[in-house]
Amino acid sequence: MLRFRRLLWMPLLAVMFIVLPTAQGFSQSEDMNIGDEPGRVPDESVQLPPQFQRQMVLYRTTEPPGTIIVHTSERFLYLVQGNGRAIRYGVRVGREGFQWQGLLKITRKAEWPDWTPPPEMIQRQPYLPRFMAGGPGNPLGARAMYLGTTVYRIHGTNQPDTIGKAVSSGCFGMVNADIIDLYGRVPVGTKVVVKQRPSI
Amino acid sequence: MLNFSLPLARGAVAVVATIVAFGTCTSADAQMLKTVKDRGNLICGVSTGLPGFSNADDKGVWSGLDVDLCRAVAAAVFNDPTKVKYVPLNAEQRFKALQSGEIDLLSRNSTWTMSREAEFNLSFAAVNYYDGQGFMIRKSAGKDSALALDNSKVCVQSGTTTQLNLGDYFRANNMKFQEMAFSNVAETLKAYDSGACDVFTSDVSQLYAERLTLSTPNDHVILPDVISKEPLGPAVKQGDSQWLEIVKWSYFAMLNAEELGITSKNIDEALKSQKPDVKRLVGSEGAYGEQIGLTKDWAVRIIRQVGNYAESYERNVGTGSKLGIPRGLNHLWNEGGIQYAPPIR
Repeated sequence: MLRFRRLLWMPLLAVMFIVLPTAQGFSQSEDMNIGDEPGRVPDESVQLPPQFQRQMVLYRTTEPPGTIIVHTSERFLYLVQGNGRAIRYGVRVGREGFQWQGLLKITRKAEWPDWTPPPEMIQRQPYLPRFMAGGPGNPLGARAMYLGTTVYRIHGTNQPDTIGKAVSSGCFGMVNADIIDLYGRVPVGTKVVVKQRPSI
Repeated sequence: MLNFSLPLARGAVAVVATIVAFGTCTSADAQMLKTVKDRGNLICGVSTGLPGFSNADDKGVWSGLDVDLCRAVAAAVFNDPTKVKYVPLNAEQRFKALQSGEIDLLSRNSTWTMSREAEFNLSFAAVNYYDGQGFMIRKSAGKDSALALDNSKVCVQSGTTTQLNLGDYFRANNMKFQEMAFSNVAETLKAYDSGACDVFTSDVSQLYAERLTLSTPNDHVILPDVISKEPLGPAVKQGDSQWLEIVKWSYFAMLNAEELGITSKNIDEALKSQKPDVKRLVGSEGAYGEQIGLTKDWAVRIIRQVGNYAESYERNVGTGSKLGIPRGLNHLWNEGGIQYAPPIR
């Protein structure tokens, strides 16, 4: 929590990178040097690697059913079902330096959200559109769920091949079929717990 | 803070004296570490070949979750995980080999039970894999719970505890089922693959291995439910408590490393850590390894050369392997599972 409070003071900085990955080199091999691809319409028939496909798994927790728990280091998002089980989804997560942990609530949900890259982003990537209406080629994908008053959200993607990677600026990305599934299962007010591997 | 009456206090002194005497006795029996060191390698009993747990490749190199435990002990003792001689044993031979002293350590997917510890004079050191009975069904059935299997046809191997558990589970949950029993695994699996049954039941680790042999593995799913207890772990001969501690804490070091975020890749960084838990594990504070006859850097040797539990799990049976078994019960206690190591302090 402490760590997260500190993060709340940095939204201005984070806004520069909000939601979208930028084309930079990353040290971790699983990080991808990949930029946004506005307008790319994803091939939704492509299957994710088995471990990142949506599945019911055994999961013991003291959190009540309906809670979302994200294990950043594993690239998994769990929706707690009770009775020792959870639905597990594969996600893409924030790259190094853009990972956080703590407790938040879903404050807003949107279908096929519009995308307005912030000015800082336009400055760095002038080729980006100033505004992009929601739709299949939109980098936010089919659905978005906003977390607290932060810049973070759980959203779809038009880059299914980034699932399981650390590429974003702190947001959690899922393939459109999965974000639509999750969107239908959780209301505004849902608790979202984000876990990190401990730092040494 | 109890006030002892005089006779009681005398009794307490006697008890303490007895404990001290026993303590001396035990350390006199602590020969295994010396034997292993003098010999220059660890003799580890493993399976005759079980992918993911203990299996030799065509060059004779052993790997697996159970093999990693042998390597961890060798790393802790010799600072060299390759100083292990592997002895493949079948189910019948395994405990006798430990009793006779043919092997120093048994790390062979063996279930920890009360009668095994008592009858064979052995001690299980830890549970390095929580297995248990589960169910495989066709994906197209669209079910995600064992409790939704009412009125199923179930294929099972006859004469096994698996068959008994199956009946118990369905009866306990007021579900009807039709049992189709076969004398061996191959036949049971073939019947399921041909569509004679809706459900195939076996231990979860085996379900993942057996799914790979089906005609279309991707059309089948393994339900998350685990309905029986099959705690698998390493065992040693009774009577040498130091040796038991070495095996036990070699495993706990791997679990604690995962919990603290220490991996084979960041171990050098961990040596500079200021966190007390990390310092105790890597030996930059205290001398915990020396207390069990090892060196201060015993855990560093294990983590650097074998990895933490997550690394070993994923490499051998998890996402890095063909089996692809989700962590499930074998997640750490604070990550959705029940793997839990006592603290080093």
